Amino acid sequence: MNNSVKFVLDDKIIELDFSRDLKYKPTTTVLNYLRDLSDHKGVKEGCAEGDCGACTVALGELDGNKISYKAVDSCLVFLPMIHGKQIITVENLKNKGELHPVQSAMVECFGSQCGYCTPGFIMSLFALYKNHNNPSKGIVEDALSGNLCRCTGYQFILYSALMACQNDGADHFSEKETQIVKLLKEINKDKKTISLITNNQCYFKPFNLDDALLLRKNYPDAILINGASDIALRQTKNNELLKDIIDLSAIDELKRFEENDDGYYFGSGLSLEALKNYSEKKLKPLYDILKVFGSLQIRNLATIGGNIGSASPIGDTLPVLIAYGAKVILQSAESRRDVSIEEYIKGYRKTDLRKDEIITSVFIPKLNEKSKIKTYKVSKRKDLDISTVSSAFRVSVENEIVKDICMAYGGMAEITKRAKTAETYLLKKKWSRTNIEVAMELIYNEFEPLSDARAESEFRRVAAKNLLMKFFNDLQINNGILKLV
Amino acid sequence: MQEHESAILHCTGEAVFINDMPVSENLLIGHVIYSKHAHAKILEIDFSDAVKLKGVHSILSYKEIPGINQMGPIIHDELCMVENEVTSIGQAILLIAADSKEIAIEAEKLIEIKYEPLEAILSIESAIEKYNLLAPKRKIERGNLQKGFEDSAHIIEGTLKTGAQEHWYLETQICLCIPGEGNEIKAYSSTQHPSETQAIIAEVLGISSKDVEVEVKRIGGAFGGKETEANHIAAWCALLCNATKRPVKIHLFRDDDQIITGKRHRFLSKYKVGFNDEGIINAYSVELNSDAGSATDLSMAILERAMLHADNSYFIPNIKIIGRAYKTNMPSNVAMRGFGGPQAIAVIETAIDKIARYLKMDSAEIRYKNFYKIENNNISPYGQCIENNRLFILFDKLIKSSDYIKRREEINEFNKSNEFYKKGMAITPVKFGISFTTSFLNQAGALVNIYKDGTVLVNHGGTEMGQGLNTKILKITSKELGIKLVKIKVNATNTSKIPNTSATAASSGSDLNGMAVKNAIETIKSRLSEFVVDEFRKKYEGICSKKHNIKFENNFVYDIKIPERKISFNELISNAYLNQISLSSTGYYKTPNIGFDREKGQGKPFHYFAYGMAVSEVIVDTLTGYNKILRTDILHDAGDTLNKGIDKGQVIGGFIQGTGWVTTEDIKWDSDGHLLNHSPDTYKIPTIQDIPEDFRIELLEGYPNENTIRKSKAVGEPPLMLAFSVWLAIKDAISAVGNHEFEPDFSLPATNEVILLSIEKIRKLQKEPA
Ligand SMILES: Cc1cc2nc3c(=O)[nH]c(=O)nc-3n(C[C@H](O)[C@H](O)[C@H](O)COP(=O)(O)OP(=O)(O)OC[C@H]3O[C@@H](n4cnc5c(N)ncnc54)[C@H](O)[C@@H]3O)c2cc1C
Ligand code: FES
Ligand code: FES
Repeated sequence: MNNSVKFVLDDKIIELDFSRDLKYKPTTTVLNYLRDLSDHKGVKEGCAEGDCGACTVALGELDGNKISYKAVDSCLVFLPMIHGKQIITVENLKNKGELHPVQSAMVECFGSQCGYCTPGFIMSLFALYKNHNNPSKGIVEDALSGNLCRCTGYQFILYSALMACQNDGADHFSEKETQIVKLLKEINKDKKTISLITNNQCYFKPFNLDDALLLRKNYPDAILINGASDIALRQTKNNELLKDIIDLSAIDELKRFEENDDGYYFGSGLSLEALKNYSEKKLKPLYDILKVFGSLQIRNLATIGGNIGSASPIGDTLPVLIAYGAKVILQSAESRRDVSIEEYIKGYRKTDLRKDEIITSVFIPKLNEKSKIKTYKVSKRKDLDISTVSSAFRVSVENEIVKDICMAYGGMAEITKRAKTAETYLLKKKWSRTNIEVAMELIYNEFEPLSDARAESEFRRVAAKNLLMKFFNDLQINNGILKLV
Repeated sequence: MQEHESAILHCTGEAVFINDMPVSENLLIGHVIYSKHAHAKILEIDFSDAVKLKGVHSILSYKEIPGINQMGPIIHDELCMVENEVTSIGQAILLIAADSKEIAIEAEKLIEIKYEPLEAILSIESAIEKYNLLAPKRKIERGNLQKGFEDSAHIIEGTLKTGAQEHWYLETQICLCIPGEGNEIKAYSSTQHPSETQAIIAEVLGISSKDVEVEVKRIGGAFGGKETEANHIAAWCALLCNATKRPVKIHLFRDDDQIITGKRHRFLSKYKVGFNDEGIINAYSVELNSDAGSATDLSMAILERAMLHADNSYFIPNIKIIGRAYKTNMPSNVAMRGFGGPQAIAVIETAIDKIARYLKMDSAEIRYKNFYKIENNNISPYGQCIENNRLFILFDKLIKSSDYIKRREEINEFNKSNEFYKKGMAITPVKFGISFTTSFLNQAGALVNIYKDGTVLVNHGGTEMGQGLNTKILKITSKELGIKLVKIKVNATNTSKIPNTSATAASSGSDLNGMAVKNAIETIKSRLSEFVVDEFRKKYEGICSKKHNIKFENNFVYDIKIPERKISFNELISNAYLNQISLSSTGYYKTPNIGFDREKGQGKPFHYFAYGMAVSEVIVDTLTGYNKILRTDILHDAGDTLNKGIDKGQVIGGFIQGTGWVTTEDIKWDSDGHLLNHSPDTYKIPTIQDIPEDFRIELLEGYPNENTIRKSKAVGEPPLMLAFSVWLAIKDAISAVGNHEFEPDFSLPATNEVILLSIEKIRKLQKEPA
């Protein structure tokens, strides 16, 4: 059995043995681990919930013979999740006394004021620097929307990014890449399940699906985690003890992507950022919603399996998956089931998942040309915010008559829900403004959403009905053919 | 341009914040058990099990306070720890010192507190209804209001609600206390007001100020939220440190910070404005009602500043300003950037906006017509003359540079041809009074030490919280002594170096401390110049050098009349030392010729005014309430800037913070007074995607400010109020839905919810038959 966690920090392999080192527990976050070291105090805690980015670090992951760099919120990452990876903090950026280009740009452009958010920004900038040459303003904004700064008003940070990322991303990390790849390969050789058993926690990290399914069978009450961006909050915010955990994040089989004539299979362990990049060309509505999903740091962690698994009424991928008629593939050691998303979600954070099953993938069918889909997210702040209301619409219209329609809403009920009355009304009717206006009233009356910290019920209802008008307006009929504008 | 003095440290992660300081192994973690009820009697507290938990070292209640149970800064009406009754959520009931945060939280779970809930006042409306005043109302008036209204062709009345705002400094409240010998205690506190923190620690511990040392190296953002609130955390930390005689650190968890600490005051304001056909205001009456929360704190000073800014930039002949602060069962509200100014300016700007819609004129025109004039009509309601009025210069330049007139036409065109997207634009000014309105606070101290090697250590009473104060102090020192920046260091602010300081607040940090440092340097320079004259007399034949001709420049000290007579700064320092010349001096500064009579509401409260103006254009999705700032042009007056990068940074940062307040920073409480938005999950400050798509910021050049440090102007707070350009541009876009024929419902913040519901209402009105 393998009972230690290994990763690269400061160009060295660090091994943590939880049975001996009682200072840390398996679910100690990378943030707390780093802050406990005397020489990595640059990383800061601003919220412990993934919403501020002060704790941003970069993860270096093996990608063939190269390393890919991703910014993540270290406050949400449990130590075993960085097994086999390199962790880079703000302290690692200087080289032989020289500032890294992203650091010198920030100094020169007045990118810091109080400096508390700065290490987090530097790490997001570092990942941007490694991944993009001459990024557009849009790419920079996307890379930085997971970092809050209360002092600067961001403009000078934006300038710093545009200034720093003008070259090909070369730096001392490029020089050391071969050396680090070697270290990471050495760690990743060993594919035996990591089992971390302490007096009040069992943490398993399997490396293949069979091992995972076996563990699932033997520990039916263990919490499955993938990105942990949902589960971690139970510890960091509610001080809950997470007893038994099966960590699926290292299973390659869950990260596959396949396209055939019928549709697309996405592994449940694909990060939402990976999914976003895949979908940009082929599944635009999914892409649109992923673009405003959390922040880059969150999307680098969070998975599609986790989003479906949470079964949250404000889970942002659910409406669009329902509109596509997507299915989840549920696998146990013995059998496999394909269940439509609508059937899979049983209630508020309740699913049809059996205690021996794991979501292995999601299937999104290809729709015929005539079906048009679009997604919308209404949130108080456009980026890094949870939906107040979200929706996905699918319609196909022939000779101006609605042949098929689906209107799935998030944030309007205890689960993601279709506006059935309005759907029924519109079906076989003319796709016209008059009819849409009637349907809007039906939507308004169909739901009784909550009033909460985000918005009052009335706002949700008005926004929900208006989204249909938005959809109507975003579609145009040209020569009897429906088109997205 | 000189970079921020800590920029490299910030960017490398080497900058040490309090939570990063190495502390000995026996550090304990402090944890605050606070009230979960807005108003209740405490019937029973049982922590007998908690105190037995391994790793718990001390649990304190008010009974263990050795000194006075008080932490109100001016009025002593705020208990350090609750006795028998809680008057708001978040008040400290017990303090725990434990080996770790986890243990403290375990201990908390074992504590039982029984409450008997009492009736609570949770909104300003119910406070008004109950007339639960915190202190007698205040008034400023001029002219004849009644006649003013009688002479006005038109009158508009209304009420405006402006919301609270959470400071959301990235570094939550923190203090680290280290015990010394006997009574001594040293506190590293993230406080804007070290002297007050010192005094309050001394009071609660029942010791004297001489035994308390408070040090502030850098603060991770403050915005007023650490002016008095930091004292609370420090007092609690000191109590635990004193009880355990071990180092103790309290670092509030984000949610606790948001729940416990006060916010920007909510205001409910009523106004009535009388004007003529041209839109010129003849009479204005405004009642500013603030929710002070459960204690006085700085609420009266905040209300006062609000009243002093009720006019914003406009001359109003007949005016009456009433201010009332109400006591409620909310956490005591505190200072926040703008300090009441924004709440009052929102009202007059709303009035002007309504006048424009009423008269079907561009609001820019109404603003322009009502500006304070240069020669006449230049006296404020409280009697201070508006000197060095920059309003017209700013307006003229900005209208041109922003292409206002052409863009207004384009916006009208756009709105005509788009049903679901509407654009809006507004230009708004700010005139902000600089000085503490409590006049005696306008003083500062400094201590400058020159060492034998010619390097200089500067101490002053201000705190560095990102605003660049120390960067400016470095520049001032470097210019005054004529030496390079690398030879100078600004020390951590420490009460044992500079006593009795005022808070670093009211945008006055560099005005006051910069002058104090300059004065300290002048004392040393005077000694050195005398000495140099003597040296030159010994060394050179001919007429003696005059003291006033000695200049410090480029690392040399020389006679401007006879420049060959010169000596390097280093050599001079080492000679001076050998000749027993003191190389250290304190400096002191107080702002001259200011004073304000609160009773009469008259005087000259401000040393000068800072001005700024902004034009913002937004687009609103009228189906969802979503909005985006398309372009903002700002022209701001910082006098002769001490550092362009720093000052522009303050303008941008202040503007965006203001934008957050007027748009997404919505705060709600449930019916029991529990804060609903207690973390960034639901409390939404702007991200990088919320800044204007096209963002142009300029400082007004060529207009030095007389009688201030290097002719500069304070710049911390004023730009926040430029965000009204965004707020009113949104309203303009909403108004476009009804072709500007209906006055939209509007409040602050204008969340997507406020916007959408306002639009829906207009749509309904449009459908109604006329
Ligand atoms: C700052 C922040 C912002 C966020 N923003 C958004 C947002 O904009 N929109 C949104 O929808 N959500 C958002 N979330 C919520 C969360 O990130 C998403 O739900 C995410 O998709 C969860 O994925 P994960 O892999 O991290 O899940 P985890 O936390 O690992 O798991 C979530 C749930 O799914 C189950 N699960 C995970 N994998 C599997 C599997 N293979 N089989 C069966 N069950 C499984 C887990 O048991 C758990 O119940 C946000 C969260 C944070 C912290
Ligand atoms: S601490 Fe805020 S995102 Fe991690
Ligand atoms: S510099 Fe202070 S929060 Fe960003």
